[in-house]
Amino acid sequence: MAEPAPGWALRVTGLSKQFGRVTGCQDVGFEVAPGEALGIIGESGSGKTTVLRCIAGDVEPEAGTALLRRGPDVVNLFALDGPERRALRVSTIAIVYQDPAQGLNLRISAGGNIAEPLIAAGWRNFGRIRARARELLARVDVPLDRMDDLVGTFSGGMRQRVQLAKAVANNPALLLLDEPTTGLDAAIAAGVLDLIRDLLEETRVTALVVSHDMTVISMLSSRAVVLRGGRMVEAGLTDQLLEDPQDAYSQQLVAAARGTL
Amino acid sequence: MTVAELAASAGTGEFGHLDEQSKREIRNALLTAVAVPGYQVPFASREMPVARGWGSGGLQVTLAVIGPQDTIKVIDQGDDAGVNAANLRRLIVASTGVSDTTDARAASIIQTRHRVPEDPLGPGQILVLQVPVPEPLRGVERDMRELRRMHAEADYSRIWVSLYEDLVRNGVITQSTGYPVLVGGRYVMATTPIPRWDVPRLHQAGFLSLFGAGREKRVFAVPPHTSVEPLAFEDVPFQVERTEGASCLLCGAVEAYLVEVPARHGWICSDADWCWRRREAADG
Amino acid sequence: MGYAAARGGLDAILAAEELMRAKRDGGASPPLEIGQLTERLNLAVDRVMGEAGLWAPDLAARALRQAEGDIIEAAHLLRAYRSTRPRLAAGLVTHADEIEILRRIVPAYRVPPGPQLLGRTLDYVGRLLDDGTPSGPAHRPATVGGNGQASHAQHRAAADTDGHGHSHGQGGDPGHPSAASSDGQAGKAAQQSPGRLLDLLRGQGMIRDRRRDDDPEPHDVTREPVRPGVPRSARLSVMARAETGALVNLWYRNVLGPDGYIHEITLGEVRHGRLPVRVTHPVTGQPVRLGSVRVTEVEAIEDLDGPDEDRGVFDVGYGLCLGHNERKAIAMANLDIAVERDGGQGALEQSVLMTTDGLDASGFLEHLKLPHYVTFRSMVDRKAAIRAAAERPAPDQPAAQHQAAAVSQ
Repeated sequence: MAEPAPGWALRVTGLSKQFGRVTGCQDVGFEVAPGEALGIIGESGSGKTTVLRCIAGDVEPEAGTALLRRGPDVVNLFALDGPERRALRVSTIAIVYQDPAQGLNLRISAGGNIAEPLIAAGWRNFGRIRARARELLARVDVPLDRMDDLVGTFSGGMRQRVQLAKAVANNPALLLLDEPTTGLDAAIAAGVLDLIRDLLEETRVTALVVSHDMTVISMLSSRAVVLRGGRMVEAGLTDQLLEDPQDAYSQQLVAAARGTL
Repeated sequence: MTVAELAASAGTGEFGHLDEQSKREIRNALLTAVAVPGYQVPFASREMPVARGWGSGGLQVTLAVIGPQDTIKVIDQGDDAGVNAANLRRLIVASTGVSDTTDARAASIIQTRHRVPEDPLGPGQILVLQVPVPEPLRGVERDMRELRRMHAEADYSRIWVSLYEDLVRNGVITQSTGYPVLVGGRYVMATTPIPRWDVPRLHQAGFLSLFGAGREKRVFAVPPHTSVEPLAFEDVPFQVERTEGASCLLCGAVEAYLVEVPARHGWICSDADWCWRRREAADG
Repeated sequence: MGYAAARGGLDAILAAEELMRAKRDGGASPPLEIGQLTERLNLAVDRVMGEAGLWAPDLAARALRQAEGDIIEAAHLLRAYRSTRPRLAAGLVTHADEIEILRRIVPAYRVPPGPQLLGRTLDYVGRLLDDGTPSGPAHRPATVGGNGQASHAQHRAAADTDGHGHSHGQGGDPGHPSAASSDGQAGKAAQQSPGRLLDLLRGQGMIRDRRRDDDPEPHDVTREPVRPGVPRSARLSVMARAETGALVNLWYRNVLGPDGYIHEITLGEVRHGRLPVRVTHPVTGQPVRLGSVRVTEVEAIEDLDGPDEDRGVFDVGYGLCLGHNERKAIAMANLDIAVERDGGQGALEQSVLMTTDGLDASGFLEHLKLPHYVTFRSMVDRKAAIRAAAERPAPDQPAAQHQAAAVSQ
C-alpha cells in the first residue's frame, strides 16, 4: 500500500540573493506539495525570476535552503557544487525559459534538442530516441514533418512547444517555468497555456510557475505567492488571492489584471 | 666548475636529442596518461627539429621512451618510404644509434602518422601516434574552459547529439577519420586521424598506444587490454571504410586498409611493408 | 631493412637538402658573415630572438642565414636548439628600472620625469627609398623641415660605430626629445633609468593597482603549457615570444574587425635598453651577473570607461620583448590591458594565449603539405555512403550500407 504523500516535495526557506547593490530576493520561503504547481507572481524586478534561477542552479544565492524530495532522499539544492547541480538538471530539475532560445540550441533539429536530455540520461538507441522524441513532439502538437528541421526556423510559439517537450523528456521531479508565454502573440500564448496546463495535470509533476500575468497564474497554479521588491508580501490559494487580495500591492496587481480575466 | 661541466653533468642531448630533464618530464606526463587512459595530459612540449604539425609530439614521445636496445620503425600513411617518415627515422637513429626496421613484427617502437600497422602488435611493443588535433570535442565546443569541464564531468551529451544530427541529416555517420571513442568507459578520446578501419584494433589490444600532440602540448595513452569503443548508437553499427570488390593490385589483399590509385583504376595496401612481405612470401 | 623502396624517401630528402645548400651558398655574391647580419640586419636578428624567446645574437644570425631570411624558420632553429640544452639555472628577478636606456619616449607628457631620448628610430624619417649607394659618414639624408639639430643627430647616429646608436640628453629644449650631439662612445652615453611615469601616476592615486600577491613565481610557459585561466605572467610570456604580426593584427581587429571594443590608449613609456641578467652562482651561492639582454618595454595607459569600472583612475598594460621591436611591445601592452578588461574570461584571452605563437601556427598550416591520402580515402568512403543513403527512404532507418557493414571483433 502506498505511503501517504509527504507534506512537501519542495521546501524553500530564507532564500536571499543580492546583485551588488540591487536586491534580487530577500528571505523568500514557501512549500510546494508533490504534483502541485505553485505560482510566483510579481512585476518585473520583483525577484521572481531570481528565485527561479536560484532553484534551477543558474544563480548562487547568498543564503537559504531549498530542499527537494526525490524518492526517499532529500537534497538541499543550494548545498550542491557545480557538477552536482548540473547532474540534477539532467533528470531531476527542468526549466522552461521565457526565451526559448535560452533553453534550446537553435542550430540543431527539434528532435535533436529533445535527444539531448535523453542522451544525457544515458539513452543510446537511435531508434528509441527518435520514437520518444516523436512521441513528445506529438504531445506538444509540433507537426512531425518538422522534427528534423532546425529549431532556428521555428516560430516563437513552436519553439516554446519544443522547449516544453525537451523539459518533460526525462520526467523530471521538478519543473520550473519562467514566464512561459510572455513574448508570444495572444492567440499563440493561449494554445501554449492550454498545453502546459494539460501537461501539468497529466504528468503530475511538481512545478513552479513564474509570471507577472494573472491569467497564467490562475490557469496553471492552485496556490501562489506574491513578490515585491524581492520580498514575499502575500501567499495563499490562487483563487482566494484573485478574489480577495489582502496586501495593497496584491490588490493593485489583481485590479490591473481584472481587465484581462 | 665551468659551464660546460655543469651542462655535461645535467645531461645534454647526447642520447635522444633532448636533455635528460626534458625526457624525464615527458615520461612523467606519459605515466599520468597511462594511469588515466584517454585523458589528455598537458606537457611542456619542446620545439623539435621538425615543425609543429609535422610530428614534434610523436617525436618527443619516442625520444622519451626509447633506449639503446630498442628497434624503431617509422611510417607515414602506413609507408616507411614517405619523406616525413624517412626524416623522422633518420633523426631518431642519428641521435640514439638504435637499429631500425620496416618490419612491424620486429620493431619495439613504431612511430606512426595516421595508421596502425596491419600486423597484430603485442606485449613489449609500443605504438607512438602523431596527433594533429587531440581534442575530440572541438567540433561541438571552442571554449577551452568549457571543454575541460566537459571532460572533467564526463558531460559528453553534445557530441552524441552531433552524431544524432549527423545520422538524421545524412542517413549515415559522416565522421571519416579520428573517430571519437570512449576509453576505459570514462574519457572520450580522439583517435588522431587513423581511419575507422584501425579503430577496432585499439580495443583490448595487447600493445601500448601513446599519443603525442606536440603543437597542442598534450599526450594521452591507451594501455594494453583497455576498452576502446567508438561512440555509436546501439542500433547503428560502427562502419569501417570498405569498397566492394577492391583488392590490392600488388598483393591481392582485401582485408587491409587500401588506398586508391586512380591512374591504375585500382587500389593498393596503405601498409607498404606488410604488402611487400605478402608478395615476397607468395613469390618465395 | 626489408621493404625495398624504403630508402626512397631518404634519397629524396638528401637531394632536396643538397639543392637548398647549393642555392643558399651558391651564386656570385660573397658568403654572408655573421657580423653583416648582426650589424646590418640587426632588426631582423632582434626579431628572430624575440620570436624564439632566446637571447643569442650570433646564434640568431646564424639561424637567419641558414634560413635564408625566413624569420619563422630561423626562430624555429633557435628554439629547437634550445631544446637540446639543459637548464642550468633560473634567472634572478631583474627590476625593469635597472634598464640602461638607449631610447625613451613618453607620449603622455610633454615634460615627463626624466629625459625623453629620441634615440635611434625611424619614426620621423621620411620613407624614401634611397638610391642604393651604401650609407656612411658621407651620406646625408634629405632634411624635410623640422629641427636641424635632430636630423644632424640622426647622421651621427647612423655613423655610430657600436651599431646601437643612441643620443643622450644634454641641454636643449626640455619640451623636445633631446637629440643633441652624441659623443659616439657607447658606454658613456648609456643612461640611468629615468623615473617611471607609472610611479608618478601611482603616487597621485591615478592608477588602478593591479599588483597581486598570488602570482609570485612567473608562470614558465616552456615548462607548463598555457590554457585559459593562467595568471598574467603567463599571458605576458606568451606574447613576448609571439609572432609580431599575430599580435599587431589581433590588436588591429579591435579597430576595424567585426567585434571587440574601443580602447583609448595613451603610451606612457616606450623604452629600448639593456637589462642585466643574473643567476645564483652554483658554488658561491652569490648572485652573479652573466651579461645583459636588450629589450623593448612599453607601458600603455588605458582610460577606463566601462560601467563597472572606476572611472576615476587609469589602468596600465605592459609589454616587454627581446630586441628592438617597438610595434610588438606596443601591441603586447595593448593586448595585455584588453584581455584584463575583457574579464580574462572571454574569447580574447583564448586568442592571445593559444593563437599567437608563430611556430605553432605556421607549422600547423604548412603541415597540410604532408601526405593526407589515408584520411582523404576515408572521406571519399563517406561520400559514397552518404550518396547511397540518400537513395534510401526514411531517415529513421539509418542506412545499412550496400557495402558490408564491418563490425568490431
